[in-house]
Amino acid sequence: MIWVETIVNGVLVGGLYGLLGVGLALIVGVMRVVNVSHGEFIVLAAFMGVSLSGLVPSIHPLVLLVPIVLVFFALGYVMQAALFNKIVARPDPFAAILLTFGLAVVMRNVMLEGYGADPRTLTAGTLAHASVRIFGLSIGVLPLLMLGVSTALFVALQLVLTRTTFGRIVRATADNREVVRLMGVNPGRVYNVVMGLALALASVAGVLLAIRSNFTAYSGVERLLIAFEVVVLGGLGSFWGAMLGGILLGVVQLVGLKFDPNAGPLYAHLLFFVGVLLRPNGLFGVRT
Amino acid sequence: MRAAAAMGLVIAATVAAPWVIGEGVQRFLAEVFLMLAMAEMWNLLAGYAGLVSMGQQVFVGLGAYSLFFASMSLNVAPYWVLPLALLVCAGVAAVIALFLFRLREAYFAIGMWVFSEIVSLVVSKSEWLGGERGMGLRTARLVAARWLEPVTFWLSVAIAGGAVVGTYLLMKSRVGLGLMTVRDNDLAATSIGVDVWRNRFIAFVVSAAGTGLAGAVSFNATLYVAPGFAFDPNWVVAMMFIVLMGGIGTLEGPIVGTVIYFALREVVTVVFGLPGTWYLVGLGLVAMATMLYAPAGLWPMARDRFRVEWLSVRRRPSVRSGVAAVTWGRELRR
Amino acid sequence: MTLLEVRGLDAFYGDFQALFDLDLEVRAGETVALVGANGAGKSTFLKCLVGLVETKRGVIRFSGDDITATPAERISQLGLSLVPEGRLLFPSLTVEENLMMGALHRRPGAWTFDSVYEIFPILRERRRQSPNSLSGGQQHMVAIGRALMSNPKLLLCDEISLGLAPMVIEQIYQSFARIGSAGASIVLVEQDVKRAAAAADRVYCLLKGRVTLHGSARDLSFDELCRAYFGA
Repeated sequence: MIWVETIVNGVLVGGLYGLLGVGLALIVGVMRVVNVSHGEFIVLAAFMGVSLSGLVPSIHPLVLLVPIVLVFFALGYVMQAALFNKIVARPDPFAAILLTFGLAVVMRNVMLEGYGADPRTLTAGTLAHASVRIFGLSIGVLPLLMLGVSTALFVALQLVLTRTTFGRIVRATADNREVVRLMGVNPGRVYNVVMGLALALASVAGVLLAIRSNFTAYSGVERLLIAFEVVVLGGLGSFWGAMLGGILLGVVQLVGLKFDPNAGPLYAHLLFFVGVLLRPNGLFGVRT
Repeated sequence: MRAAAAMGLVIAATVAAPWVIGEGVQRFLAEVFLMLAMAEMWNLLAGYAGLVSMGQQVFVGLGAYSLFFASMSLNVAPYWVLPLALLVCAGVAAVIALFLFRLREAYFAIGMWVFSEIVSLVVSKSEWLGGERGMGLRTARLVAARWLEPVTFWLSVAIAGGAVVGTYLLMKSRVGLGLMTVRDNDLAATSIGVDVWRNRFIAFVVSAAGTGLAGAVSFNATLYVAPGFAFDPNWVVAMMFIVLMGGIGTLEGPIVGTVIYFALREVVTVVFGLPGTWYLVGLGLVAMATMLYAPAGLWPMARDRFRVEWLSVRRRPSVRSGVAAVTWGRELRR
Repeated sequence: MTLLEVRGLDAFYGDFQALFDLDLEVRAGETVALVGANGAGKSTFLKCLVGLVETKRGVIRFSGDDITATPAERISQLGLSLVPEGRLLFPSLTVEENLMMGALHRRPGAWTFDSVYEIFPILRERRRQSPNSLSGGQQHMVAIGRALMSNPKLLLCDEISLGLAPMVIEQIYQSFARIGSAGASIVLVEQDVKRAAAAADRVYCLLKGRVTLHGSARDLSFDELCRAYFGA
């Protein structure tokens, strides 16, 4: 019984992992850039949640998500316009990695100076302890809610990309940013909005993760690696793959921790390694 | 003739140095030379073989742990088992290449990072390696105390010199030419018969071995190793930034970059007295600025401005190659 | 009435000069063929027109307006549409969505989905498929249709016949006749001189970035064209 509960909890946290990854998947899929600073933005959102929560303790952290998401959308838009757009057109595939790596180092150390090295967490009040009984299992309300939020965001993203004009423009720009200009589209502006969306999604993941477990200014690396593993496992170019990859990672992570409580993210990393070995294109690899 | 005389002078100076300069300076210089060696190895991989790895710290740690473990298990002075550090890293690199070479570009870079984290976590859980706390180098007492600093100093100079000279010789050889074609255009390289995989493999194994050796000597000097330090991503942060700032794909670049790296560190921590985090922020900002405005690094800028060729491995074609090489937006990267 | 006027155009790729002092004219309603060997500068010229390649010297005037410095994003709204070399469709979009992209900033005009499907009926059947599942000729049809959806005054076609079977080329050239009679002016860039010259009112020949011959399609002899093409 305890194993079933662990697996179910793994699925629930996996939804969050998927959310961690989907922002990165957007950036990689549309701009072909691996944003190594993604993990740091996730942690920054968590710190922002902590700061805001400190300022207005009466407001529930989940409600604070709204201003945080808006701030991070704006942040992503500005970062892309001011910084990343300058190197996105370069043929060198490493320019972006190296630039974002530099940004990650800057962000991590500034957060360290600003917030210190102590572990922090966001409290969700009574909701954190509430649980429901489903099929004889005790499942937390909060994790269930988080899975719901993740799924809803995924569905919304898929709908936007496949059914709206904007989504079509994004997909076309991802395919060929030069030709799309012939149709009156400014690829730079498309990238700005996409980066804004990606960071907005990352901020949701950051805040939810902070409610679930504690974090420090050093947590960015772990978050980045998970996001990256989700993207690669799921298959580049597939968002549902990212969701499933996240769930798989979540389950393996929690089951592994039950066996081996000291392992940290070891089993998730091992799954990634084995997965990449067996299927280099991911579970639902689309692009070559 | 002049090269041989210069070489002799350098060797004489190195041997004599520990009697001339104090221990503190020796320690600092050893750190500088070892960092230079690691940077040259990262440059060999990224600048010449076109493989960016964000996980090279794994070899720093593996080199260090092999040294500590072998030295204490066999109860010999650590210097005798240095070659083992080299071999272990080469071996691990050879095996891991079989898995990770399936990943392209950015995915290889982060895949290496994940591998490093896995090794770090496994070591942390291994009590026979000291677990999370790490272990001290008990066999250091087999070496007379007054030789510790000088030997480390000599080793660091030798390793740095070996790294620079070794890379130079490798790049001047056929393997080197093959590597440079692979770096520029691996599809074209394959079509003219260059074995892309083999060339990259050689570069990866050599780079890992060199990094491991430098890492082993590094931790040998501190007499203590722990997973948090041995597998710290900040090792590769330093390597990357040195190579980027100095000039990726050139031999002189890492030398220039190492000087800047340590100058920056001393200025921020000693002159301004700020904690290490601010120095890392400065490093990150400089790296970002370099990527945006001088992506080839500072050495190529200086080289082109002052028309100096130093340790160049460029080939000079006998016929002036014409304009035919220019296609839709791609330039020859040099 | 002169629709497109190009005077003294120079174009560079870095240090390499691709076009030298180019003069060219397209009048309203006519079809102009631009022929030349590989590397003569034909594609470069079309890319200059739509703002994908920077020009160092010279003037491009379209409907009287100077568009030399106009960025590529604004060109389609002015009435110039390019069918790029190699088709360059969007593989992540369906055929219909590719056409929708063409219609994004459409000018008022007669071209709609239905009129495009009328000249290329096979596309109506395949409209919900990815362009990757279409044959080369069908992909060309999508590319032309996409360019038509913005209701261009001037349609630029880069090497439409490249890699296609003769019968398919025939089919596409017939569509040009219909497009032309519907009022659009067309510039056809081709390596196949005979077919292009047969479809055009006037012909320009390029060699190494320079115009070596131009005139009415009917008046130019095949020998003259060969000489201008190869530079004998």
